[in-house]
Amino acid sequence: MFHGKVIDASKQSISLDEAKKFITSEQCGASLFFIGTVRNHNNNKKVTGITYDSHDAIVEKSFKEIYEEAIHKLTIDHPSVYIEHAKGYLGLGGISIIIAVAAKHRSQVYELSRYIIEEIKKRTPIWKKEHYNDHQSDWLKGNPVHDLSK
Amino acid sequence: MKIKIELFGAARDFSKQDYLELTVPEPTSIKEVRENLMDFIQAKYPENKNYLEIVKRSAFANEHNEIVQDHYQLSANSKLCIIPPVGGG
Repeated sequence: MFHGKVIDASKQSISLDEAKKFITSEQCGASLFFIGTVRNHNNNKKVTGITYDSHDAIVEKSFKEIYEEAIHKLTIDHPSVYIEHAKGYLGLGGISIIIAVAAKHRSQVYELSRYIIEEIKKRTPIWKKEHYNDHQSDWLKGNPVHDLSK
Repeated sequence: MKIKIELFGAARDFSKQDYLELTVPEPTSIKEVRENLMDFIQAKYPENKNYLEIVKRSAFANEHNEIVQDHYQLSANSKLCIIPPVGGG
């Protein structure tokens, strides 16, 4: 089972309860929730918030590809995956991403969750603009994407 | 011919609008679009070397939401998106 979506932070929040409802299954003995939040510092600067930009269609396509790739490459029994990423402005502590996974065994959920977040970082078209306490803002440098299928 | 490039991430700073329109020779490839965009940036923001670096490190996506390579050919009124280096999470 798979769910992957971009959430507009001005209209909706990422919900841990929804993620839990989606992945819960009697076939699975392990569930893992990875949550990314906005922290108050980066590169020796005081961060006050982050604006996330997203190419929604490619992001959602990329989530699906990463999920399919993961269950093909890794040995996962009864995988269930729920991914949501926020776009728009989030203040400190705001949830930017949730990756909720369930599977038969604990080793499988750790492996699956880690695989998904690392691939998202490498190739999913989401961008961060950090806002600082001196009222300056900067786009973070990021990783070049040359082929989403690789 | 004219092509439209939708801007994302750091490339949003290239314009007040969320897209750029470039006039390019027909036919043209992604490689030529990148060169054309770099000329445009150099003319509009001669002091800003960072913008050129962003274009160099960016990928492009077509209207079917596929990342396209340098040799990909564009037709008149093609729409592209610029995909600067990414970093979600």
